[in-house]
Amino acid sequence: MDSYGGEGRHAGAPVDAEHVEPGGPRPSAQSGDLRATGGPGRSGGAGIQALSLPYQVVAAVSLAVVGVLAAVHLGMVFLHVAPANTLSKQHGEAVDDWVLPEFEQNWKLFAPNPLQQNIAVQARAELTVAGGRRTTGWIDLSAEDAAVIRGNPFPSHVTQNELRRAWDFFANWHTDDNRPNGVRGELSERYLRRIAALRLDAHREGGRIERIQLRSATRAVVAPVWSDAGKTDTRTYYRVLPWWPVTVADLPGGADAGRGAARAAGEHPEEGR
Amino acid sequence: MKRVDHGVVTVNPRADLPGGSHRADWAERAGRGLAGAIQRVTAGALGPYQSAVVRIGFSGAWLLFLLREFPHRRELYGPDGPWSWGMARELIANNHAFSALLWSDSAVWFECVYALAALASLLLLVGWRVRATSVLFLVGVLSLQNRSVFMGDGGDNVVHLMAFYLVLTRCGQVWSLDARRARRRATGTGPGGPGPTPDGAAPAPDTTDSGPDEAEAGPGGTEAGPGAAETGAAETGAGGAHRPVAGRAAADRVGPALWVVLGCGLPVATSFAGRTGESWLLALFWLLWLAQGLWWVVCRYAPGQPRVLLDVLANLAHNAALGVIMAEVCLIYATAGWYKVQGDRWQDGTASYYPFRLDYFTPWPALSGLLAGSGLLIMLATYGTVVVQVAFPFTLFNRRVKNVLLAVMMLEHATIAVLLGLPFFSLAMIAADAVFLPTVFLVWAGHRLVRARDRLRPARRGKVPGPREADGEPAAPRTLVG
Repeated sequence: MDSYGGEGRHAGAPVDAEHVEPGGPRPSAQSGDLRATGGPGRSGGAGIQALSLPYQVVAAVSLAVVGVLAAVHLGMVFLHVAPANTLSKQHGEAVDDWVLPEFEQNWKLFAPNPLQQNIAVQARAELTVAGGRRTTGWIDLSAEDAAVIRGNPFPSHVTQNELRRAWDFFANWHTDDNRPNGVRGELSERYLRRIAALRLDAHREGGRIERIQLRSATRAVVAPVWSDAGKTDTRTYYRVLPWWPVTVADLPGGADAGRGAARAAGEHPEEGR
Repeated sequence: MKRVDHGVVTVNPRADLPGGSHRADWAERAGRGLAGAIQRVTAGALGPYQSAVVRIGFSGAWLLFLLREFPHRRELYGPDGPWSWGMARELIANNHAFSALLWSDSAVWFECVYALAALASLLLLVGWRVRATSVLFLVGVLSLQNRSVFMGDGGDNVVHLMAFYLVLTRCGQVWSLDARRARRRATGTGPGGPGPTPDGAAPAPDTTDSGPDEAEAGPGGTEAGPGAAETGAAETGAGGAHRPVAGRAAADRVGPALWVVLGCGLPVATSFAGRTGESWLLALFWLLWLAQGLWWVVCRYAPGQPRVLLDVLANLAHNAALGVIMAEVCLIYATAGWYKVQGDRWQDGTASYYPFRLDYFTPWPALSGLLAGSGLLIMLATYGTVVVQVAFPFTLFNRRVKNVLLAVMMLEHATIAVLLGLPFFSLAMIAADAVFLPTVFLVWAGHRLVRARDRLRPARRGKVPGPREADGEPAAPRTLVG
């Protein structure tokens, strides 16, 4: 008790003396002590010893239940963050049921190895302008993020995480030839497309965005000079995604955005994906 | 303190083994130790300063984050987001996470939730009705983060976890408005004047009753186990329980009112159970709310043993949650450290060079470049990081080493905040680390703050707002957290 409690600190929880603890000279409150213990002072007037037998049983059972719950929870979280092992292979489902979604966590911070390449996401758009179509050049969206981050002591999640994590999300749920490989595939694609549409739209290239195309440009960070510099392959590798049609719903404000009013919903039947 | 020892002896009446063999001695001592431990975890909510600093740290970090992102809120979690409401709904239909934002896609509702989340953070920060505001804080955190999971990073993740654990801790025992209210009640009505009333003084009927009651009611009630209403409960309870006295402090109406208001939200949450939120979470909300009601009723009508029992239960929940918080922090560092050990770059001492070259993590390229240019510095930072992270959980067995490492880790996080442009992540991690700060240090820091504030506003009260500096801290024996 000592360090936390007792008379220390708020000491005082004065306690009424109506009720004297069985074993103690200490006067312990009835209701008073409760609060007393509730207080930082936590005077020792309560606790399991202040209870009569039936209540002690309840308290003891609760102690056991709480203890077991805490232990199980920590065990589950441990199995969740630990590498796949004998136990988690057998009981992976139970672990997931317990931990997901609210206790999900990942602490492989820069581990086992830090990211050693800059992955830039670039986009271009096909616009309709005055009856014709025009394709913009590649616009480096990640470079725009980086420019905003420069000199900013409090970078926003919008610049630091949005595009970066969306690309990871997309890459995790797609095969190397850019086909969705799981339930989240379609979602991740739509997400990425909407981010790109949002960013390109802000560029005001003029005209209506009909389609967009994305690619990633990956370039390794040059290894430090004192290690094996020179061996690093610093060429840029591109991963080019197919052209995606953009629907009105992909643009900021969704379907009710004023700018989309001109477009008939059925104009792009292929978009429905 | 001694009381406890005292109690222990009582509870565990000296096993009278006439012979007093060694084994019997040993068994007796073990038994006494166990009984003492049980008494400890049931009689008090351990680590009041640590739990308070965790509360302040996380609510503060989240509040700052919400304020900083205010201009971007609609893109992050709202109607302008690339992660649309429909997509969130699709994902959540799959993983059943909780987000009140899924109750409606209206922009007004979104603004309300965002504002409420910020307000709950502020109230939790200052420790106003922490039982209620900690739950609101949790709802705010979950609603926003689960609405757009792909916007978050490690910092959001810790906040998410700790928001859960905080709900179960009595985190407003010190450094909170709850505690101040309790103290004021105590000093206002109590016979003992500003000082704590000694136990012995108790019998003074009216005043003392309300004295202790309120006094600790605040904390006990307000932060103790259950939530919103407890304060109200506690106080009214006080009145009801002991002969009510005309002159006593006005009964608390805010607590019960808050309880009723929050109670209205529960059926709504339940009605959307099919859309968002796992059933255990809704059950938890109901349970917390009912516990508040029970607390109030018990205080009022059954102030004796049932009341003590409730307090025991609240202490158990608090102590378990605090233990889980500490274990969680250890898990974070252990995971981060052990996975790093396996990486080539951490082994060859170059790992910390790379983040300084990543476009997304170099707000100060010149500075990063400068540091990245020094091979020795990089190696020391790389090895140092791994050593500290792997070692940290084990240093808990040695208070001095633990404190040194704690300082090192906080410093490292502060550095990360600046160099990698991750201020909120770092703030959250520092708040998590703070659970291991020694009580003496926290008390000392509290004093300094209070004194500094008093110096700034000499006109106002001469003393005390903070934790009652008083007694015994320094002498406190050391524990894991202390």
